[in-house]
Amino acid sequence: MKNLLRFFSERGRGVLTPHRFLKLPLIAALAVVLVSSCAKKETAVATRDIGPEAEAFYKSHSEAFHFATLADLPKDLVWHDGSDVPEFSSPDAKRGGMLHYFISDFPRTLRFYGPDSQESFRAFILDYNALTLTQQQPNTGQYFPGLARAWAYGADHRTMYFKLDPDARYSDGVPVKADDYLFAFFFLRSHYIKDPYTSNYIKENYSGITKYDDYTISLAWREPKPDLDDRLGSFAPVPQHFYQELGDDYMQRYQWIMEPTTGPYMVRPEDLHKGKYIDLTRVPNWWTGEKRFYRHRYNIDRIHLEVIREPDKACEVFKRGDIDVFPLNLTKYWYNMVPNDDALVQKGYVHKVIFYNQLPVPSYGFYINTSAPLLNNRDVREGIAYASNFELVDRQYFHGDWVRMQTSSDGYAEVPFPGIHARPYSIDKALEHFAKAGFTKRGPDGILTDANGRRLSFTISTGYDTFRDVLTILRQEAAKAGLELNIEILDENTGAKKIDEKHHQIAFIALSTPNGKYPDYRQYYYSVYANKPQNNNLTNTVDPEMDKLIDAYDKAESMDEIRSLAAKLEQKVYDNAAFIPAFKMPFYRAAYWRWIKWPKGFGVRSGQTLGEDTTQNGLYWIDEDAKKETLDARNSGQTFPPEIKVYDQWKAGNE
Amino acid sequence: MFRLDPITRRQLQRFRSIKRGYGSFLILCGLLLLSTCAELLVGSRALIVKYHGDYYFPTYTAFHPGADFGGDYSYETNYRKLKERFATEARGDWVLLPPVPYNPYENSFEEGIYPPTPPSFSQRHFLGTDTTGRDVLARLFYGFRTAMIFSLLFLVLVYVVGIAIGCAMGFFGGIFDLLMQRVIEIWSNIPFLYIVIIIASIVTPNLLLLLGIVVLFSWTDMTYYMRTAAYREKARDYVAAARVLGAGSGRIIFHHILPNLISLTVTYMPFTISGAITLLTALDFLGFGLPPPTPSWGELLEQGTSNLNAPWIVSSAFFALVLVLSLVTFIGEAIREAFDPKKFSIYQ
Repeated sequence: MKNLLRFFSERGRGVLTPHRFLKLPLIAALAVVLVSSCAKKETAVATRDIGPEAEAFYKSHSEAFHFATLADLPKDLVWHDGSDVPEFSSPDAKRGGMLHYFISDFPRTLRFYGPDSQESFRAFILDYNALTLTQQQPNTGQYFPGLARAWAYGADHRTMYFKLDPDARYSDGVPVKADDYLFAFFFLRSHYIKDPYTSNYIKENYSGITKYDDYTISLAWREPKPDLDDRLGSFAPVPQHFYQELGDDYMQRYQWIMEPTTGPYMVRPEDLHKGKYIDLTRVPNWWTGEKRFYRHRYNIDRIHLEVIREPDKACEVFKRGDIDVFPLNLTKYWYNMVPNDDALVQKGYVHKVIFYNQLPVPSYGFYINTSAPLLNNRDVREGIAYASNFELVDRQYFHGDWVRMQTSSDGYAEVPFPGIHARPYSIDKALEHFAKAGFTKRGPDGILTDANGRRLSFTISTGYDTFRDVLTILRQEAAKAGLELNIEILDENTGAKKIDEKHHQIAFIALSTPNGKYPDYRQYYYSVYANKPQNNNLTNTVDPEMDKLIDAYDKAESMDEIRSLAAKLEQKVYDNAAFIPAFKMPFYRAAYWRWIKWPKGFGVRSGQTLGEDTTQNGLYWIDEDAKKETLDARNSGQTFPPEIKVYDQWKAGNE
Repeated sequence: MFRLDPITRRQLQRFRSIKRGYGSFLILCGLLLLSTCAELLVGSRALIVKYHGDYYFPTYTAFHPGADFGGDYSYETNYRKLKERFATEARGDWVLLPPVPYNPYENSFEEGIYPPTPPSFSQRHFLGTDTTGRDVLARLFYGFRTAMIFSLLFLVLVYVVGIAIGCAMGFFGGIFDLLMQRVIEIWSNIPFLYIVIIIASIVTPNLLLLLGIVVLFSWTDMTYYMRTAAYREKARDYVAAARVLGAGSGRIIFHHILPNLISLTVTYMPFTISGAITLLTALDFLGFGLPPPTPSWGELLEQGTSNLNAPWIVSSAFFALVLVLSLVTFIGEAIREAFDPKKFSIYQ
């Protein structure tokens, strides 16, 4: 859970928008593995063989590792292979070319686990790259084959069975077999990787793995769940042959070697130029070949990632033509740095796009500490909610592009909350609630006081320097309702720590929302976590009724049950008024040079933003002729029709 | 406590005769004076309101809710709107606003227009607005006041500590001097900027805390000058004479040595002030200074440099900084010239 608090890092990542950076730590826990072109090194004489240790581990943990034969498979399994799922790539795509993009900092390691591994770069090589057992269709939410060619659900709602694809290969050519999945459990739970969060997550949540033969396995979750595909299907193997020499020197030994991957891109050792740039290369003869769902994707042969620390500078580099794609999510970039009337846009060299997406959004908002004096009064909290003018911020500061977040869990397509709306800014209602709490008299500065002379004054703590302006606007507006909000902007880590240890009165922060099919309430509202440091119950909510609901919710086995319990829980969250939803961005937007070509509908429904998307969905491609034409035109002064497009097929209400 | 000796008086006269420096001194004093009553020149509260025959002077009083002047809200009156309303009602009520009718904190948003907005005389945003619609001139003016308060307090504190310790080191000498020298050497080797950054990232500093931290690491420079000067003066005949007459250490330091060090300290003052202004601006620029929404030049510069498409922000802050630093430097030059001992010594 601690991990979920690690996103104070907007400043460091510059243009990366919340949507993007919030997701990483999460996926982290599940995904696994990858590649490298260092197969040659493997031929060196191994001084150590991890095999026997792994075998011994399987034996000593017989509750989790099972060995059976095909005859032991349940007879009544219904196998799915995704043949009814539509493809989402464009047959017009051309292979080849080199994409130029930037990263704001050089990765501190190429390892997937252990210290320093959970940074944004891992998305390029693991989270968005490695294939898992099943993959999710980003538009429809259905599942299609990944490393498994077929899968089936157990009657206990806890187990999934997988027939592995015998074609699957790591980037070094070694086939992916059942043993790699067994080894993954050993690897992820071992102390060698120095990643207690992941080890613990695996241990607590997966109850076991069964090997039937080299290409048939089953995985089991500890509790019955309605979204097993999401939990078990997203598991990935770890190549045992690569970790023959796994030991206490894991951190040093594998620091700059990328694990062989099952995914499309790998980092070759010669493409690593520390502090300057790093290149991703498409795996030669990637094993998916012309398989459905994988053809016409990952079209680009090489991705050049230049380190540019300042996003403003990166934007200039983009305008010079040295970067192909640039995200314009922040108001400043869309309206000021690359405005619609910019010569590059008007001459048609650079195209701009707004793409409405649908995915769980990071929960930006005020987390009110219900254990703090005065804030333990519900009327005070409700008053604060009515005194927080997020509407004005959305309308005037974000140019009306961002919209108010309505609940604590917006964006889950299957679990909507149509009846719940965030409290709108209303001075009268705020005053009414403050009056109920005893705050009726305005002091000489207009701030309310109660009969004991206490001022209605609270401090907002945050680690987001980016939202400095937003908070100052909220402060001014709150003063109209007699509420004083002091602003405390701390360093990212200090801010996270302060909030983590529940020393805040009001925290302004975004917690990443779990990326599954339905929201999680336990970590945010379960009473066990209240008033204890290092967890996500930032509001210190203690509500026995909510506890009961959460218990039932986590045991729910069908989506209908989930939906009805989630509605009750969300209503509780609203009534409690300890979380004040702030804002969300219902789209992503970007600019790109006209030689980058896109499928018809541009992006996918659950697409996050451009950039890492290259390895996530890999739908776009480079048109080399168009590139030459554009560069020539730029020299000769020839122009093209400008293109500024809005794709709103997934905008709420448009589907 | 101590009278100015004739030489110092002659030096001050000479300072007055250096036109550029003295002029700068007068301008800066004028600005300082203006900034003490900033609310009368720049602020959202009206200077005078005439309502139903009564006169109100809201500038320095408790706030007036909108209801006091017939409005329908309980928060602070918006006097600009009130002025418009009175004008349309035409019942003889009127409002006199300050020349710049905005305070440095309020966000003036207009539907459909997104800040920052360029300078506009009709809106009375003479230097435009910043990224959240706050008046740049108001923030500049109040930022000047903050910077001057900071640097003057800084000056006083650093000099009190520096002169006291420096004089004591020079006057008493011996083991005390030796020990303090080592302490100062060690102390001045602590990387001051990092310490400030670390502290500012853990707690949000207010003006006094920031001042405290900065002074803590800045008093050492002054001690060296004072130590040398005190050593020199101590060896002079007049000190020996005073001692023979039976004067104690306290009397010698305060009545004999310190008055003779005035010219030295005065010479350094302008440079200390300009240093303090630059330091505060730099810290605010880096985000380790005063907490938002305190108006400050560093914050304006930071906004300006990251929004170069709104040149009025960065140029306002830049020119203000250049102006004040130039004034201070001119004063410093003039003082140095006026107090230069060469003017009053004859070498053969």
